[in-house]
Amino acid sequence: MILPVELEHHIDEIITHYPPQHKRAAVLWLCHLLQEHFGFLGDEQVKWIADKLGLPPINVWEIVTFYPMFTQKPLGQFHIKLCRTLSCHLAGSPTLLQRLANLDPNQFTVSTVECLALCGSGPAMMINDATFERVTPAKLDAILTRLQTTGKLESQPLQPPLPAHPLEKRVLLANLARPGYTGSLADYECEGGYQALRKARTMNPDDIIQEVADSQLRGRGGAGFPTGLKWRFLDKKSGKSVYLICNADESEPGTFKDRQIIHYDPHQLLEGILISCHAIGARVAYIYIRGEMPDGAKTLLHAIEEARARGYVGNGVEIYVHRGAGAYICGEETGLIESLEGKRPYPRIKPPFPASVGLFGCPTAVNNVETLANIPHIIRHGANWYKTMGVTGSTGTRLLCVSGPVKQPGCYEFEMGKLTMRQLIYDVCGGLQDGRQLKGVIPGGSSMPVLTPDQIDVPLDFESLRKAGTMAGSGGVIVLDDSVDIVEATLNLAQFYAHESCGQCTPCREGTLWMEKMLHRMRDGRGRPQDVELLYDVADNIDGKTICPLGEAAAWPVKAFVTKYRAEFEKHV
Amino acid sequence: MSENTVNLTIDGRAVVAPKGMNLIEAAKLAGIEVPHYCYHPKLSIVGNCRMCLVDVGMPKLGPDKQPQIGPDGKPVIVFGPKLLIACNTPVAEGMVVHTRSPKVQKAREGVMEFLLINHPLDCPICDQAGECRLQEYSVDYGRAESRFTEDKVHKPKKTPLGPKITLDDERCILCSRCIRFMKELAGQDCLGFVQRGSHSTLTCYPGHEPNTNYDLNIVDLCPVGALTSNDFRFQQRVWFLKETKSICPHCATGCNTVLWSREGIVYRQTPRENPSVNQCWMCDEGRLHYKFINDSRRLTLPTANGTPISWAEAVEQVAAKWRATEAQAIIGSARATTEELFLLKQLGGETAPAVVVPHLGEGDKWLLNADRTPNMAGAKLLGFGTNVARIADGIRAGAIRALMVLGEDPLEEELLARLELLVVLDILPSRATRAAHYVLPSATFAEKQGTFINAKGRIQRLNAAIAPLARPDWQILAGLLRGTGTAKYETIEDVFADMARVIPSLSGLSLSKISDQGVEVAL
Repeated sequence: MILPVELEHHIDEIITHYPPQHKRAAVLWLCHLLQEHFGFLGDEQVKWIADKLGLPPINVWEIVTFYPMFTQKPLGQFHIKLCRTLSCHLAGSPTLLQRLANLDPNQFTVSTVECLALCGSGPAMMINDATFERVTPAKLDAILTRLQTTGKLESQPLQPPLPAHPLEKRVLLANLARPGYTGSLADYECEGGYQALRKARTMNPDDIIQEVADSQLRGRGGAGFPTGLKWRFLDKKSGKSVYLICNADESEPGTFKDRQIIHYDPHQLLEGILISCHAIGARVAYIYIRGEMPDGAKTLLHAIEEARARGYVGNGVEIYVHRGAGAYICGEETGLIESLEGKRPYPRIKPPFPASVGLFGCPTAVNNVETLANIPHIIRHGANWYKTMGVTGSTGTRLLCVSGPVKQPGCYEFEMGKLTMRQLIYDVCGGLQDGRQLKGVIPGGSSMPVLTPDQIDVPLDFESLRKAGTMAGSGGVIVLDDSVDIVEATLNLAQFYAHESCGQCTPCREGTLWMEKMLHRMRDGRGRPQDVELLYDVADNIDGKTICPLGEAAAWPVKAFVTKYRAEFEKHV
Repeated sequence: MSENTVNLTIDGRAVVAPKGMNLIEAAKLAGIEVPHYCYHPKLSIVGNCRMCLVDVGMPKLGPDKQPQIGPDGKPVIVFGPKLLIACNTPVAEGMVVHTRSPKVQKAREGVMEFLLINHPLDCPICDQAGECRLQEYSVDYGRAESRFTEDKVHKPKKTPLGPKITLDDERCILCSRCIRFMKELAGQDCLGFVQRGSHSTLTCYPGHEPNTNYDLNIVDLCPVGALTSNDFRFQQRVWFLKETKSICPHCATGCNTVLWSREGIVYRQTPRENPSVNQCWMCDEGRLHYKFINDSRRLTLPTANGTPISWAEAVEQVAAKWRATEAQAIIGSARATTEELFLLKQLGGETAPAVVVPHLGEGDKWLLNADRTPNMAGAKLLGFGTNVARIADGIRAGAIRALMVLGEDPLEEELLARLELLVVLDILPSRATRAAHYVLPSATFAEKQGTFINAKGRIQRLNAAIAPLARPDWQILAGLLRGTGTAKYETIEDVFADMARVIPSLSGLSLSKISDQGVEVAL
């Protein structure tokens, strides 16, 4: 098995992105590159990668079989990947799936995939590395016809960001919707970009951390942990390197905000990363980006080179892009770290925490894309400015993603807490589509308990949502209308979590698939009277018993739907 | 709290535990079992089975950083919102642990249920039955009935992991003990999980199966019947087997073992814990080296020039002839017990050259010693040399005319034919037994009491697992000593007591003082 010289050189260069005694970390990249070249990862490819990285072949095989983006056998020329998760499902992906039956298997392979982070413009689909939104049956037919006749794949430009709604307060999205803004370094600097970095490089690192702590910025990935505090926990006395990891694995169903920053304003993220590296003493930062954002990875790589040319990257701080390959669990910070190290992404038991033992055993801070994008603004304008936005306990602005049958779904930015869910749905998004009634709304990504229509006057900040029995989570708002069968929706999410469970610990590994099977039976009309209680009890036996929050993420939706919509479940038994 | 210990309470019992100890071990100190699958004291901690979840509370600290005292005069204890895994929770001063509260019981019941929903109903055909933690914990902590009515996940049921082990993936509970052992201790990182979620499957890469001398330890480690030893697969139900503590005779390490037997047949050998010798492991070579005990060619009757005679006749004739023949020499075995070598040396008196036969192989960095005999240290302590060539020369020169050989076969027929008197004690036919004037069939290590002294000077004792197929060497030799008028021994304790009197290193010891863990002596 021979590789072209340039490919082998490229691979050798990528291996230098990781410490020499941790070459294993390059395994995901090598799998991507070899699969791109050969079309699949068979015995020869596995052995080649194992040899190259000094690993026993089992360690490579473990990776190839874990991630759905890798295939051990050749596929058709065009791999159609249709999103099957809740928002796209409710927008009509099952109909599209039917139309994809009976295609020539030499030319097409059809798969369903989990949430592609395009929920507001679903049904979403990828064909090889090209992304398609708002796929109607007619649009799908047109795409297929073009592929069958020309044999060439043309990607379609994605919907440009909408101009700001009066209720919005755009800080992170300020550049995006400016006419003619391309996201290039030149454009970014035109709008004042990288001033904050220059300022930060004159500041004492501890002062930067202090400023971020004073701003009361809370993590935007889902947990809402205070960012300054997270940085303060880093063990700076160990003598080991400190690492910063940008969590760009955005996979929580209903969420598509980080995508906006990565694709349309990447320098905002890079500046945030560079300032943060200076603050915590990190000389290397990795951006772990989900594998299903290949254009995002290319955009970031290009932006990094632009930044290098201006001297922002290099000279003591490096940013590397590390691509995932289709696993929601890589959004959990220790699952991400394991994946980055080249192992199966099994979240770690804690303690120890990444702040003391993280990437390659070194103190590590893992921060969400949106969180890091806030940093330049905080440094440029100050913590006090930041606190003038939002409410106590939830300062600043927040990106919210709305999907479901509203008139204007999409990604918006608001001061935290200054908006209620009702205002979001009816004022900003124009209310539900004609003839539809609200049945419920998931406020923070599919893992967060659903709110019923009588609960939507809750302000959208961390504390208020917590008091309402749910959480702000990832900011993925999924609107459910009266055409939604709640059991079907619960089944859809149960299938997501069963598919994404890494399998490490007993309750999640066994319980998620059990819940899926039960819900499947109930949805198909073969439920038994005891199934509703059983379903709730199984969810309860997972909740709080697992190594990582995927257990809670799988259990909470089931518990919330069964509790709040019990009548619908009972109709199915 | 002292420098090295902390005080905590487990199920109402006060426990003093060393700092850094985890709650599973601390609970053991209090006599409380915390059930677990994936945890093992010699392997890294992964916390994936979730069976050891316990309720942990710590004293609430006041503004002065001291524990707040409640109205009952005791520290106020705050319990966490979630249960914690005991394996990864170190003891702390003032900690309060509940291992049997309703919350913990429900969690355990939940975990047991989850483990069983995809587990195949294999008990009737599974080797692990009777020593299976799924069975045991089901009874102790699980539900009586299954609530699962879906289809189970199916996986391969007969994957060879090398020639010694068969893997049934449906039974596997994915605890990863085997993976960790192969990587961390055996030094061959060859096992792993493929696929994801509920379809995760243990396997090895084709062509890269386990091939170390320690693979079979993973069969011991496996809490269920996923990993089975091909040697033992389908051979016996474990509840019929008698367990006898013994010592492996394969090399000078002297791993502590258990012999599992029924009705005179030994079915398997497993390691027994001894922190000073082998922790809880043994090598595959030693483990599998027991079939000779029940070999169908075992010698059972004494013979004189090939003709069977009674034991009484044999002992009388051999004693008489041995006393009468001069120019004696002794070839003993470093596989014989210390007691047997002691008696054998006496038969040779002061003048007869006495050697044991060295057996060397390649040692490894762990348990397998290059010295492939269990009692060379004992032999040397008793004054045996190793120069077998000297005996051969002596026979050739006519200076040795009477030879007693115990458990070895180092000389060619041509040399043996020159002897006036050749007496051989052994278990299986050999050149020596075929050339002997008298053959006195003896017993293996599994059929007698006695001791070995390992390379580090630890004297350890054997126990009889099965009744001897012939006669233990020490009894034969004691009979000969009586017959030659040299000494009188009735029991093995008599022999040991005399030995301890004569050998300074063993002074003050007795077989019972040696106990099951052995005692270090000066070499």
